[in-house]
Amino acid sequence: MSTTADEAQETDTVAWYRNERVRDVIGLLARLFLGIVLIVAGAAKVGHPVTSQRAVQAYQIFPFELAGSIGLVLPFLEIILGVLLVLGLFTRLAAVASTVLMVAFIIGISQAWARGLAIDCGCFGGGGQIAPDATKYPQEIARDLSFALAGAWLAWRPRSLASLDRILFGH
Amino acid sequence: MAKNSTKGRPAGNARQAKIQAAQKSSGGGANKIVVATVVVVVAIVAVVAGVIWSETSKKSAVVGSGKELPPGVTALGAGYPAFSDVTPVAGAPTLDLYEDFQCPACKSFEDQFGQTVEDLAKAGKVKLVYHVKNFLDDNLGNTWSTQAANAAFCAADAGKFQEFHDQAYANQPTEGAGFTDAQLKQFAQAAGISGAALTTWQQCYDAGKYVTYVQSVEDSSARQGVTGTPTLKLNGTQLGNAELASPDALTKAIQDATK
Repeated sequence: MSTTADEAQETDTVAWYRNERVRDVIGLLARLFLGIVLIVAGAAKVGHPVTSQRAVQAYQIFPFELAGSIGLVLPFLEIILGVLLVLGLFTRLAAVASTVLMVAFIIGISQAWARGLAIDCGCFGGGGQIAPDATKYPQEIARDLSFALAGAWLAWRPRSLASLDRILFGH
Repeated sequence: MAKNSTKGRPAGNARQAKIQAAQKSSGGGANKIVVATVVVVVAIVAVVAGVIWSETSKKSAVVGSGKELPPGVTALGAGYPAFSDVTPVAGAPTLDLYEDFQCPACKSFEDQFGQTVEDLAKAGKVKLVYHVKNFLDDNLGNTWSTQAANAAFCAADAGKFQEFHDQAYANQPTEGAGFTDAQLKQFAQAAGISGAALTTWQQCYDAGKYVTYVQSVEDSSARQGVTGTPTLKLNGTQLGNAELASPDALTKAIQDATK
């Protein structure tokens, strides 16, 4: 088995998954995926400040006032990170921040689940308490995990096709 | 053997190095610090402007400026005790009901349980307290939760809160469509308010007499962790699916809570 693998690698063409071009394309896809998700999630909350505040307050992690402030700022933060990712500007920084954000969301949802709260994650607007049988914690966590993975890829390898980083700074 | 497998890399790196060298020698490429500064400034301005705009739109969503408390309510933020003329039986538990007039799930609750709750409250078997919230205004982009709540407490001045409340849920528009001024007046009339009382109701409604009170209930209930509707608390304990399986289950839960 190992011989065949080695033989394949010894050929002149590099395995596709080691190909820098392929990885650049993956980077572009990760940027667009995570960036568009962040813009959509942020835009859904803009213009609904109370809903956004209530959504954060429903997690019952932070003091009421602080949760309210987070709810006010979060939509705009999401949009800014999303725009940076779509443009490919300061990709690594934006990717690290986005990944941290997604991990924070996953922790928030998990603790709500563990504590027996019945809330909607409010990820794309809405949020707050819902009927206990209407919770979607596993789906919400899985979804945020896929976003976190895209962010982690870009944090590890921020180089990608068609990025402002490349155009402006040459990397 | 394994090392050979990476022989494509040095070539790639060399090419990359050449590109970078070429760019450096030509003096090309933007100044990272300048770009970063621009991005940070734009981001800060965007967040600050966004938050200020959000706060402004929140304030303008409130109509009226009255600070009156509905009859029987002792403080801003406190719930409205329904059927306050009924003497409760000894040990009757308190049922706190958190609702928003635009909430479809509240309509479902009222359709299924409303009559049961009302009968129990009328018989003094439960002390029914309404916490009328208005958070769906922000979500739906209108002000009809607040206006309907204000209208309901204006009806309370005429002793017709429960009747108005039942009318509003029975005739709830599809989510997002909102009520109309005329519709709310119809509810008041259907609740049995007429003549001089209707004129008083209209003045109260137009003045937004209870808007501040409704807002205070929204805030205080959210602080207590009620961010969704309908929410029911029996003697302070939130009711779940078991108690809300059927009107009989709810009746039994209320009986069990009677000391």
